[in-house]
Amino acid sequence: MKRTAISFACVAAAIAAAAAQSPSRASFGLTAVDGIRVGHHTLAERPTGCTVILVDGDAAGGVSQRGGAPGTRETDLLNPLNMVDKVNAVVLSGGSAFGLEAATGTVRWLEEHNIGWPAGPAKVPIVPAAILFDLGVGGNPKVRPGADCGYKAAEAANAGAVQEGTVGAGAGATVGKLAGPNRSTKSGLGTASISLPNGLVVAALVAVNAVGDIIDPSNGKVVAGVRNPDGTFADARKILRAGGTLQRPRAGENTTIGLVATNARLTKALATRMALMADDGFARAISPSHTNGDGDTIFSLATGRWDGNADITTIGALAAEAMADAVVRAATQATSVAGIPAARDLKK
Amino acid sequence: MRVALLLLVAASVAHPHADARLKPSRDDVANDTITSIPGIRVGHYTLTERPTGCTVILVDGGAVAGVAQRGAAPGTRETDLLHLANAAARIDGVVLSGGSAFGLDAANGAERWLDERGVGSKTSVSHVPIVPSAVLIDLWVGGKPHIRPGAECGRRAAAGATRQPVAQGTIGAGAGATVGKLLGRDHAMKGGIGSAGVVLPGGLRVAAIVAVNPLGDVIDPKNGAVLAGARAGDGSFADARRLLRSGAATVLSSLPADNTTIAVVATNARLTGAEATRLADMADAGYARAIAPVHTLADGDTVFALATGSWQGAHGAVDVTAIGALAADVVAEAIVRAIREATGVAGVPAARDLPQ
Repeated sequence: MKRTAISFACVAAAIAAAAAQSPSRASFGLTAVDGIRVGHHTLAERPTGCTVILVDGDAAGGVSQRGGAPGTRETDLLNPLNMVDKVNAVVLSGGSAFGLEAATGTVRWLEEHNIGWPAGPAKVPIVPAAILFDLGVGGNPKVRPGADCGYKAAEAANAGAVQEGTVGAGAGATVGKLAGPNRSTKSGLGTASISLPNGLVVAALVAVNAVGDIIDPSNGKVVAGVRNPDGTFADARKILRAGGTLQRPRAGENTTIGLVATNARLTKALATRMALMADDGFARAISPSHTNGDGDTIFSLATGRWDGNADITTIGALAAEAMADAVVRAATQATSVAGIPAARDLKK
Repeated sequence: MRVALLLLVAASVAHPHADARLKPSRDDVANDTITSIPGIRVGHYTLTERPTGCTVILVDGGAVAGVAQRGAAPGTRETDLLHLANAAARIDGVVLSGGSAFGLDAANGAERWLDERGVGSKTSVSHVPIVPSAVLIDLWVGGKPHIRPGAECGRRAAAGATRQPVAQGTIGAGAGATVGKLLGRDHAMKGGIGSAGVVLPGGLRVAAIVAVNPLGDVIDPKNGAVLAGARAGDGSFADARRLLRSGAATVLSSLPADNTTIAVVATNARLTGAEATRLADMADAGYARAIAPVHTLADGDTVFALATGSWQGAHGAVDVTAIGALAADVVAEAIVRAIREATGVAGVPAARDLPQ
């Protein structure tokens, strides 16, 4: 009892301190959205980990689940027909379906901080999550993010600039697997944001572990993907067009998972439309996208801290733009690991 | 007559990029549109009173089908039938039509035409033709919004359906289509209908037909350039992406609801209903790559996918990832072609009308 009271006081102090530190909010990336904090935890034993997106208070949420091999939790709750319309945190994790356990740790952390949906005798933390498959990267597949990962990432969450690359849920992420894992390129986690003069902020964060190649939509070029022996990119689009032999993507061995957030106020239905439109960022920056071997999923959060007027078409279109930017950054910010080269380490 | 004329135009316009990339086998050189899929026939009917019309895609022998409906303002019929939880049926044709929800009547004409020929799913008492449909809104183009494609349009388009290369541009469901409406109708450009297809050395075919009428701009995915879209005061492209990023697109509070892009993708592969649904969903990525913004509140974007099943692969193995990826490619290409083939109408200029 005493301990609870003490931890309560500590939390209150911590929250007050965080509020006082609002100038430390990042000017770029997901934490540019007022009310959003991000924490990573990366495992030491194998390149894998989890990333927790915490909402100060709560936010309206939505989801777009379009890949053919998803691993998710609490996505039914996000259906606009269902009742709960607030989200406290979202967890993105490596470790395939095992990694869903990371959300359990985040739920525990939130409960200790008295955050959640008021449900009679308890506050129930609402924590949707999605996972990606990275068990084949860097050794022992028994090493996976668990509850401890989700707890530590929540503990580490802050409003500063988000660390990108080979970190958190992106630690074991790879792309360009149409010709098998041996020709893949290291990818990771990326973030991007767009701030309009009127105060609207729309941002994205994504862990990119796609079957397909990463494309820069501004010029159509491959940023990271299937590698040729000489270190150049083969271009999955060309391989497919030529009818070349390719390894059929195996269900659950890939997956790109992300989140878009805005400081605008949205209903649950509009938050769902925002997630759906953000998915266009996947289509533009990943080719092919949404395959049967990808569990592509995008969550959306609307913190409602900004009272200005913005329509969902603007917000959704910017979410798609920010998401495409974040996908490209996940590929350009990644560092090589476990013998899988990142784009920055390949000769130009 | 008009169809034949446009056909000549379509045939005479070179597609150097497409030719180089598709490498069609010799007998397909003349047709890299959706009618290159065995069993698929296409007919347009364009009204004379106002630029609008409908396009009927017929499938001889029927096809397994799926749908991806991702725009927020759809006008459709028989999409519930395509839901995986419902009884699997082979569909006999798809109708794409202008005229907003009124244009759904066109499918009735196509259905009647099929009924007269004994085509359809067999029931205990008769054949029932299954004809899903989707519409786009073009009521503002050319005045006289009470002129819309009806059952007669669908009937005539079905009767005119052929295996010839599909006529493209300002015709059929694309007759009244426009693009680039982010700054309002006065800044819009002409959209249209386009078709593209690919043939792989192993015999797999994947093709698309798209009636392109989005709120957003049309982008060439190969280089990110605007091909047609909202025009600034000086006639240059405003670039919807730049407008949105700058926060200057304030007109959005009164968005014109004159939009929606509708398509059919088809393959000769044998797919299950679930795979056809995945095919439609992956094909939808072609919209995202060639249109910005897309899937808005003011777009009813819908993609139907058809699998005729005449090709089963070398070892009976069909990979929906490859087919879906190619479908996204040909959808994007068909959108680009719709813009290149479109001709200006009712004061709305086409890309070809702008100074180079």
